[in-house]
Amino acid sequence: MATNIQDRKRINGPTRSVEPISTAEPVEPFASGRLDGRALDQVRPIFMKTGSLDSQASAQAAPSGSAYYEQGKIRISCAVYGPRQGRKSNAKMGIFSCDFKYTPFSCSWRKSHIKSSDEKEISLILEQAVAPAIRLELYPKACVDAFITVIESDGKAATIAAAINCISAALVDAGIELYDSVAATSMALNGTQWISDCTQIEEDSTSCSLLVARMPSADEVAYILQHGKTKIEQTEEGFQACVNACTKVYAVMCRYLQGSM
Amino acid sequence: MASLLVSPAEQDYITRGVEKGIRCDGRSNLDRRQVTLRTDMISQANGSARCRTGDLGLGTDVLVGIKAEVNTWQPGESEDQGSIVCSVECSPSAAQEFEGRGAEDLNVELTQLLDRILNGPQSGIDLRNLCIIPKQAYWVIHIDALVLDVKGSIVDTLMWATRAALLSTKLPRVVVETISDENGDTQAEFDVVDDPEDVAPLEGAENLPITVTFNQIGKRYVLDASEQEEAITQAKLTVAVSPQREICAVQKGGVLRGFPPSLVSEIMQTAQRVSQEELRQFDVLYAAARAEAERGGAEASTGSTFLNQF
Repeated sequence: MATNIQDRKRINGPTRSVEPISTAEPVEPFASGRLDGRALDQVRPIFMKTGSLDSQASAQAAPSGSAYYEQGKIRISCAVYGPRQGRKSNAKMGIFSCDFKYTPFSCSWRKSHIKSSDEKEISLILEQAVAPAIRLELYPKACVDAFITVIESDGKAATIAAAINCISAALVDAGIELYDSVAATSMALNGTQWISDCTQIEEDSTSCSLLVARMPSADEVAYILQHGKTKIEQTEEGFQACVNACTKVYAVMCRYLQGSM
Repeated sequence: MASLLVSPAEQDYITRGVEKGIRCDGRSNLDRRQVTLRTDMISQANGSARCRTGDLGLGTDVLVGIKAEVNTWQPGESEDQGSIVCSVECSPSAAQEFEGRGAEDLNVELTQLLDRILNGPQSGIDLRNLCIIPKQAYWVIHIDALVLDVKGSIVDTLMWATRAALLSTKLPRVVVETISDENGDTQAEFDVVDDPEDVAPLEGAENLPITVTFNQIGKRYVLDASEQEEAITQAKLTVAVSPQREICAVQKGGVLRGFPPSLVSEIMQTAQRVSQEELRQFDVLYAAARAEAERGGAEASTGSTFLNQF
């Protein structure tokens, strides 16, 4: 019966909803160059800061390492805890786990507080992309946990790539033993042209996206993910372009990390 | 699975074998185990298939059922497209660690991989054909996969079963009528024809890609890794290739190592070549499975045939 009682103190909205008619012109991102004036192979400018979550007041509660990362509109914060007591006491190798979370206001539509399968999958992608760089055999019975919060996102593939870079920086800050840092970049295919580091608007009008994470010093590909259809030559071309872009991102990361020591 | 223990001596034996091109069960690096395929196993589903890779009772076993539903369009959804929804569940019957929430990560990984391959133009199925009336009603194809047994190479078996299930899927015919009311406004309405004979196959299902998963062991890589090989694998790469030789999806798995970039290019080339042979093999097996299903008719879904061959 409670449902029939009308709440007179509030103005109730109509029961039926109608889609608003948009008067905005549809945007064609690649009609004349890129919307933000970048070159096709140009990555958005990167800002990063390690130790962003260090709290002076309570050193006990502070994470072992943390980083804040910006790439255009993308803003990501990452905290790394560990090495600390693992859940499996007999493990010969350490366990690295990621917890990726979009804030509800990070995308153009509202994200739910409840962890979506999308976020679970990105957590897995991040684990698989970053774990090859960690010397997990040095941390038996222990675990290293990374918590990634996306404050603002702009382009899904670019956000995942930015998260990988952010975790790498936080791991360095935490003093975890690494073989190499992982640098990641994303590309999207517009017609036959690969475009680096796409924003959401650009990504929506492209047919295929490619994400590559690389350890440049070790010369290993830590992760590769393609979503969408291409010819094999195009995949190879995009892969090479990503590998080159990763090297540039890596240089930026290294310069910052060396300076922050 | 991770629970399988492989001694250092065994590991060394397998690795050296793979580097020389010989595997423990006598296959070469690019050979697949024997595949068994059956279709139309579930009479309640619009399409279904079961696929096993490996020996009788010892292989990886996946059952896929397809259910089609009519959904009402909601604001915010694309106006003239249907959709495909994937879900993969690993049964605790396959491995003990799948009990409770143990399979959660694997379920998410496989579901998203399947979704990445199938939900979009890369699947070869034109989602616009699944629209009944724009901005009103569309078909949703639910692909539900159940992994019954795991003995290595789970992704490829899943994709074989899904491809067979989608190829055998029959959608009921839909009649769209335009009715005008007293004000002269026209309105479209539809009816799903109830006749089980009046059905049509899913358009474009023959363009579906197939996946090939390569596991890196030592310096080389193998197709269709067995349980033991999977336990010592350092990294794996899944490539989905369409019958038109296009690359539809690429995903790396495994947390231990990365690939040298040259190996990635080599694997892509190999994937493209191997997938075409696999597609031919699939066609042969699928044709046989169809013939079997038609011969069996109504009996195809009874318990005895369900257990036979698996």
